[in-house]
Amino acid sequence: MKSDPANIANGATLELRDVTKFYGQFKAVDGLSFSLQSGSICGFLGPNGAGKTTTIRMILEIIKPSSGAVTVLGHCSALQVRHRLGYLPEEKGLYKKMKAWAIIAYFASLKGLDRKTARKRAYELLERYGLKDFADKPTDALSKGMGQKVQVLASIAHDPELVILDEPFSGLDPVNQQVMEEIIRDMAKRHRTVLFSTHVMQHAERLCDRILLIAGGRKIFDGTIPEARSLLPRRVRIETEDDITPLRQLSDVASISCVEKSDASANINGTHCWDLELRESADAHAILQTCFAQRIRLRSFSQSDPTLHEVFVSLVGAQAREVTIR
Amino acid sequence: MRYAFLVAWREYAENAKTKGFWLGIFVMPLILFLSIQVPVWLEQKATPIRYYVLVDQSGSLAPIVEARLESLHQQKVLEALNDYARKYSRPPAFVGAASHLGEFSEANPLSAAAFMSKGGKRYFLEQLKPQLKENAPDFQEPRRLFQPVHLPTAISAEAPLATLAQELKPYFRGEKQLEANGQQVLLSAAILIPRDLENLIIRPRPPSSHREADPAPRLNTENIQATNHPLAASKPGLGGPPGPTHQIQYWSANASDSRLRDEIEHAINAEIRQREYLARGLDSAAIHEVERTFILFASLNPKKAAGKETVSQTDTIRQWLPSAFVYLLWLAIFVVIQMLLNNTIEEKSNRIIEVLLSSVTPGELMMGKLFGIAAIGLTMVGAWVAALFGILSWKSGGASEIAGNLLSVVQGSSLVPLFAVYFFFGYLMYAAFILSIGSVCNTIKEAQSYMSLLTVIMMVPLLTMTFIPKDPNGPLARLLSWIPIYTPFTMMNRAAADPPMIDLIGTLFLLLVVTATALWMAGKIFRIGILRTGQPPRLVEMLRWATRKDA
Repeated sequence: MKSDPANIANGATLELRDVTKFYGQFKAVDGLSFSLQSGSICGFLGPNGAGKTTTIRMILEIIKPSSGAVTVLGHCSALQVRHRLGYLPEEKGLYKKMKAWAIIAYFASLKGLDRKTARKRAYELLERYGLKDFADKPTDALSKGMGQKVQVLASIAHDPELVILDEPFSGLDPVNQQVMEEIIRDMAKRHRTVLFSTHVMQHAERLCDRILLIAGGRKIFDGTIPEARSLLPRRVRIETEDDITPLRQLSDVASISCVEKSDASANINGTHCWDLELRESADAHAILQTCFAQRIRLRSFSQSDPTLHEVFVSLVGAQAREVTIR
Repeated sequence: MRYAFLVAWREYAENAKTKGFWLGIFVMPLILFLSIQVPVWLEQKATPIRYYVLVDQSGSLAPIVEARLESLHQQKVLEALNDYARKYSRPPAFVGAASHLGEFSEANPLSAAAFMSKGGKRYFLEQLKPQLKENAPDFQEPRRLFQPVHLPTAISAEAPLATLAQELKPYFRGEKQLEANGQQVLLSAAILIPRDLENLIIRPRPPSSHREADPAPRLNTENIQATNHPLAASKPGLGGPPGPTHQIQYWSANASDSRLRDEIEHAINAEIRQREYLARGLDSAAIHEVERTFILFASLNPKKAAGKETVSQTDTIRQWLPSAFVYLLWLAIFVVIQMLLNNTIEEKSNRIIEVLLSSVTPGELMMGKLFGIAAIGLTMVGAWVAALFGILSWKSGGASEIAGNLLSVVQGSSLVPLFAVYFFFGYLMYAAFILSIGSVCNTIKEAQSYMSLLTVIMMVPLLTMTFIPKDPNGPLARLLSWIPIYTPFTMMNRAAADPPMIDLIGTLFLLLVVTATALWMAGKIFRIGILRTGQPPRLVEMLRWATRKDA
């Protein structure tokens, strides 16, 4: 069993170094490097086909990288520490005729729990997350959401140190999405490390300490949520019927664009909405003062940071360059 | 290994809960039981009683016919008594040759005659009584299968045969019924014997005129047949077939059951010949004795120990029983690999495989599946063998003598251990193909094309199953034995014929090597195929995966 003491000492639960994966001639992952600190929640983002699932499979040693190195919990092989890992794949499925508790207990026993403990743990988890009444039902009698919850519980029943969840929110209703968020937060509270992929940026914004964004198999962004937001300029939105030419002269304003309103009430009073992109050092109060000084009558004025969704679209949509903060 | 065991245990436990498994467990013993019991039951209960009318205008043949049918019935009674004695006497072998009922142990006409002459059922039961077990039930005499009924009073027995036949037709059609033992019954057959027997007898002609003695065609009248025996076909000295009025007529609406007709025909012709002997001044008693003279013909097997070379029923069973085991082996392997295929495809299509592969290596997963399903197969086959022993032991103590012989052959041979060995290796080899197929297919439908090919390959042992025991060490048997995919079936089939040691050891060794190679290659295909989506690859591509060094 090989381990890397440097990583353990650094608190890195997971580290990828220049990992590349080819499928024939196709390069699915291209020189990917990142590391995860112990006890963190990391959102693994990227458009479809970005290489997320391939990366996850390489981390878990389900497939082997063409080149590069993966270190998991201080070991160069995930199989050596498989009982300390939890995994929920993107495409979910269960044995149809097995009972909910039996599936959870089976996967827990494959992760090293003895059969008695695994069974006890399965019932505990099902009770805690509202599935007590379905514990003895075969999984084909459960709804899709329930089945997915069972699978999530199966992936964490052995209390893993590193949990990798591939699209854990897909297919869940809003209530169950909240339950899923609760499960992830519970794990983080117990200093477990969570890496999850999602296409819903709100989940990442709410849960993640940091995000890793990849596209075309390459890393586009790796950092915290504020760092991600800071990649795009801050923005002020105003609504007025007056001429805004004076604002265009301001050095704090990088650009102005008119916002097309989609609802029927748009421009009913002859007003227009404008988005003002601010420079990095700009002060929104100065914009407001200029409006007053130039007698620009405002119907609304709002300042907002860019959303993760906007960052995502901006970085991926524009074939973004690799940006590394740190 | 612990993980492979966990996978195997789940496979076993989950498959053992399926309906298919329990059907598999019970269907085979049920078939075996029914195949022994149903013919007996049908004979005893379900065979309808045939009611017949016998009109003998000659006035001399009716007692002959009745005596013959009575003798037939007494044979049945004797058979039933023998079974009854085997089942309820102490010791069970009471009716063996050593006992004073030994002369009746064979249910043939001679022992039936002896049985009847000594008093029949009553005598037998009296002799048996001291040896009967305390809880023995009363003996139930078998039903008479052929029962005579009187001609309806409205029909005159002296009427011409054609008139008689015409008047009886409504009784055959069910338009009218006869009364027998206080019940209304349907007429099954009518035997009409004409007055002038002498004109009916056909005597051989000199060799030059043989060509005219052709059999007469059978006549059909509204589905009611008047059947003519070839010997009753033509009058001496006359060419061409005579009409039915010049023959003994057997009328019956049921053409498929000819037992009654055959018995009566046999009895009447035997009587006619007796009369001929007398008419020609021959000593009929002497001829009767001569007719009962015969030479015993023994089948001997030079491979058997000196003094025990006689081929018995047990030897015949020993020769053919391996074929039954081949069928069992084929069925077991086929059923079990189907389970393996369904199971692998379920895991792949459900994407459970990905979670499994994050917990166990592909090798552990494959091993677990192989051995879990093998354990299911062995349980099923074990249940079959146990049921085989159980049913044979049960039946051998009672009605079925053949069951006892079967049991002694199964117990006294190496068929069961050989079956276990060939099942295990045969299963592993075919399982390697199935795992390869299952790992690259997302649905059962996708697997069908591969499975059709495998099924065709697997048909060969079934097609050669009955041929090989006839020439167990011949070229075909030896050739198939050395083709590893057929080794388990062919060698199983040759088990009773003492195949050469080189065949026994050599083919087993080759089977081992090929099975190990197939599993190793299947492991490589499994590892690549199991995570693959989309169309299944071609066979050539799978072979490339299997031989790739880095796979």
